[in-house]
Amino acid sequence: MAARTEHDERTDASTPPAPRPGNRHPIATAVSVFGELLITAGLVLALFVAYSLWWTNVLADREADKQGDTVRSKWADGPGALDTKDGIGFLHVPAMKNGEVLVKKGTDPKTLNNGIAGYYTDPVPSALPWDDEGNFTLAAHRDGHGAKFHNIDKLKNGDAVVFETKDTWYVYKVYKSLPETSKFNVDVIQPVPEESGAEKPGRYITLTTCTPVYTSKYRYIVWGELERTEKVDKDRTKPVELL
Amino acid sequence: MYGWIWRHLPGNAWVRSVIALLLVLAVVYALFQYVFPWAEPLLPFGDVTVDGASAGGAGAGQ
Repeated sequence: MAARTEHDERTDASTPPAPRPGNRHPIATAVSVFGELLITAGLVLALFVAYSLWWTNVLADREADKQGDTVRSKWADGPGALDTKDGIGFLHVPAMKNGEVLVKKGTDPKTLNNGIAGYYTDPVPSALPWDDEGNFTLAAHRDGHGAKFHNIDKLKNGDAVVFETKDTWYVYKVYKSLPETSKFNVDVIQPVPEESGAEKPGRYITLTTCTPVYTSKYRYIVWGELERTEKVDKDRTKPVELL
Repeated sequence: MYGWIWRHLPGNAWVRSVIALLLVLAVVYALFQYVFPWAEPLLPFGDVTVDGASAGGAGAGQ
């Protein structure tokens, strides 16, 4: 643009009768404006990609760190009675290599966009890890907004999924993955997720996110079952799975 | 369009460049701060939950 305008000005100076852009044929002007609009649209779309895949992660990670610190500082007085006010605890999935993920109630976009995972309240309410039986069902973003479940496809059967509350480590083992299912498939988060092969009530965990990456055409599901729990000691010593 | 804007900016080429750069930054800021956050929920890239509702409710209840 700059180059062209300088060129225009130069031609103006040397050959005064040369047509200025304002005097161009209307069609030429229209084509030129249309072309510039197309270029602009392309740039805006490229910026949107940058926004989605980079900027939302920056914002979400910042917010998640803040909210996580709030919970950690409330827990600083050592293990004790369950405290779920600012989040029920942290999810650790070594195979996903994403550190710890704060878990809060609800799966609405506002919650998940803060770079955390949410447990379902709708359409099937999640059980909580300390419930005697049920399915602890979680959702988080695959891309953007912290992308906390980006590496969900790296989870294999037998991998550990550890949930940390103020006073207990809940160690789950993955036993089944479903790489692609419809977003309407609510059965995957039932208290007894029969689709995973589960037949009797137990203490399950279900991770859901979207797939393939960068879209949300389908849902990716991973199921685990509680293997054991460990009391948190005063140093918050991690269970062997996280060492 | 851009040529028109350029011709209507005051000053010499350097001043115009600086103003143009500021305009670009202002537009990018507005996009990141207001336009993209508004547009994002309307696009089907960030739905991560299963949802029994009809297609219309999928966005709202995700």
